[in-house]
Amino acid sequence: MDRNIKISIRNLYKIFGPDPVAALEHVRGGMGKAELLEKHHHVLGLQDINVDMHEGEITVIMGLSGSGKSTLIRHLNRLIEPTAGEVQVDGEDVLRFNEDQLRKLRRERMSMVFQKFALLPHKTVLENAGMALLVRGYSANEFEGEAKKWLARVGLEGNEYQYPHQLSGGMQQRVGIARALASNSPIMLMDEAFSALDPLIRSDMQDLLLELQDELQKTVVFITHDLDESLKLADHLVILKDGHIVQQGEPQEILMNPNDPYITDFISDINRARVLRVRSIMKKTTEAPEKCAGDISERENLESVIGRSDGDTDLVYRVVRKGKQVGVLEMKELVKALVPLDTSEGDARSRY
Amino acid sequence: MAAYDFIFSSLGLEDWCAEGQSDAPMSMAALLQKTQGTTGEPESLWDTPFPSMNALNESCAAFPKSRELTKGLEEGFLSIKDSLSVVLDPLTQPLSWALDGTLYGMLNTPWWIVIPILLAVVFFVTKSWKLVGFVAVSLCLLAFIDYYRYAMETLAIIFVCAFLCVLFGVPIGIAMSRSNMMQRLTVPVLDMLQTLPPFVYLIPLIFLFSVTESKLYGIAIILYAIVPVIRLTNLGIRLVDKDVIEAADAFGMTSHQKLFKVQIPLALPNIMAGVNQTIMMSLAMVVIASLVSAPGLGVLVLQGIRNLELGVGLVAGLGIVILAVILDRVTKASLARINASQNQ
Repeated sequence: MDRNIKISIRNLYKIFGPDPVAALEHVRGGMGKAELLEKHHHVLGLQDINVDMHEGEITVIMGLSGSGKSTLIRHLNRLIEPTAGEVQVDGEDVLRFNEDQLRKLRRERMSMVFQKFALLPHKTVLENAGMALLVRGYSANEFEGEAKKWLARVGLEGNEYQYPHQLSGGMQQRVGIARALASNSPIMLMDEAFSALDPLIRSDMQDLLLELQDELQKTVVFITHDLDESLKLADHLVILKDGHIVQQGEPQEILMNPNDPYITDFISDINRARVLRVRSIMKKTTEAPEKCAGDISERENLESVIGRSDGDTDLVYRVVRKGKQVGVLEMKELVKALVPLDTSEGDARSRY
Repeated sequence: MAAYDFIFSSLGLEDWCAEGQSDAPMSMAALLQKTQGTTGEPESLWDTPFPSMNALNESCAAFPKSRELTKGLEEGFLSIKDSLSVVLDPLTQPLSWALDGTLYGMLNTPWWIVIPILLAVVFFVTKSWKLVGFVAVSLCLLAFIDYYRYAMETLAIIFVCAFLCVLFGVPIGIAMSRSNMMQRLTVPVLDMLQTLPPFVYLIPLIFLFSVTESKLYGIAIILYAIVPVIRLTNLGIRLVDKDVIEAADAFGMTSHQKLFKVQIPLALPNIMAGVNQTIMMSLAMVVIASLVSAPGLGVLVLQGIRNLELGVGLVAGLGIVILAVILDRVTKASLARINASQNQ
């Protein structure tokens, strides 16, 4: 990666219970989550987390409920204190910050979007959007322009003087996003931001986020339990299970080479044609194929290629990036890629 | 001889007991016993008394009777009373001034100024013409039957006491919501204030302050009525949505900003419910407090009881009901207005 590392999490542990430090010794000694709970009545929240989050990328942390993903994101702005480890933002260890430094970090460098929106019900949409600026001490007149700008950007023009309860869920979350954007912080934490929305609106919001991201290039940390959502949004995907990282990397890479039966099981239900992209299954070569059926972009997903080929599996396509050939895609390869690699899928299911 | 002689004899305390014997005149009970020719010895196990202080005293004259316990309390209280009032008197003096001042102000302003001001206040907090009309009719009715003065006295006392309850109750409630320790210490006191019959804390107050001072009934009313506003402020702040608090933290609010921009506004419906309860309870107490010279409609009720003037008592009671309905409707309407702007 050519981008800078913005946030770096090193050996992070979180244990819930009356004496986490003692319990930490057991965990370092190799004790698992279930055993720790049974023998010492401590809950292992996070175990040895190491993640680098790059500037201007969307890092998606995915896991089922109870996997510790919400706990993890709250460590970044220290809404939860870790038991051990380091969280570095721009090279500074957040965990050593005193109260003032921490408040400055939360006000100016990180903003957060919540699953349940968490808007102030007694304030108008405009005042909610300007909350971050209000907290920093700006008056309503001063932040009005900025708040209006971002509300318009997320499509809420004309709703400025309504109250949150007068808006639908999707619109309320747009206010939540405008509130985070208006703080002008380089980092945006999104805690299951779209999970409470219905599927159509969720898809709209994902598009909105990607569109904003193209324009603003923020460092986004996105939490979700939805694999489709994480594959759509992620530049870097981290999969959590029971408080530890099962696999992390480029989402296409994880799809093609899952290293754990848990993930294999996870990805077996998705529509591979829609999420897999040409670049992850093409043969890398600059030699032109003999019978070329046409050019396709490396970013295209397989669904659109199948549509273009009209189901003909004998075709061969040239894959191009910015006009230059980077590879070749045979339709036979494409069809093979649609079937999950792991033949032991049945075993995985019975185990999980 | 009495039922528990054996305890003292087995402990070898007869000498100590004998010291307590005096030549004072016999008590009535002992005299009766003597004339009836019975002894204190129970005739069967069935009649054995509980080993109470009085029963033990019968066996051993040196053992104190229970009346001596209450007497001790009285004497103890009387002995610290003087030094206590040196501290409490100046502290509570402003309450007397506030009560006397408000009473003076409301009674000496002509009715054609007071009633419009009250109606304006009603309109300001409720924004409802219907309620203003209702209050106007009720006040005029009370004035028409010449109860205006009494009703205004009662209202003046309630305004002062309810205002002070809110002034002290809300900060106490906030402190309780922020510290579990504070909550653990305060809740038993609140429980006690709420369950003690109001007459019970009138007694020590009468000893402490002179009956002619208005702070006597002021304190009684405040102690009785402050509980709900404290409880509901505490509850309201503790019930504020955890997600919103988390958002406030995530955006870097100081605890001061969080309190005034998030917690108190969101707890306002509960706090207002507490204020409503506080006002209703001070109205209830202002009637009882007429026993210790609080002016107002309660005096008429008391007069009705003392002189058996049925009509006076009933009409005064009706006047209290009208005031109660007015105060309740007005505070509830303003509460509803707050709720309407907040429902999620």
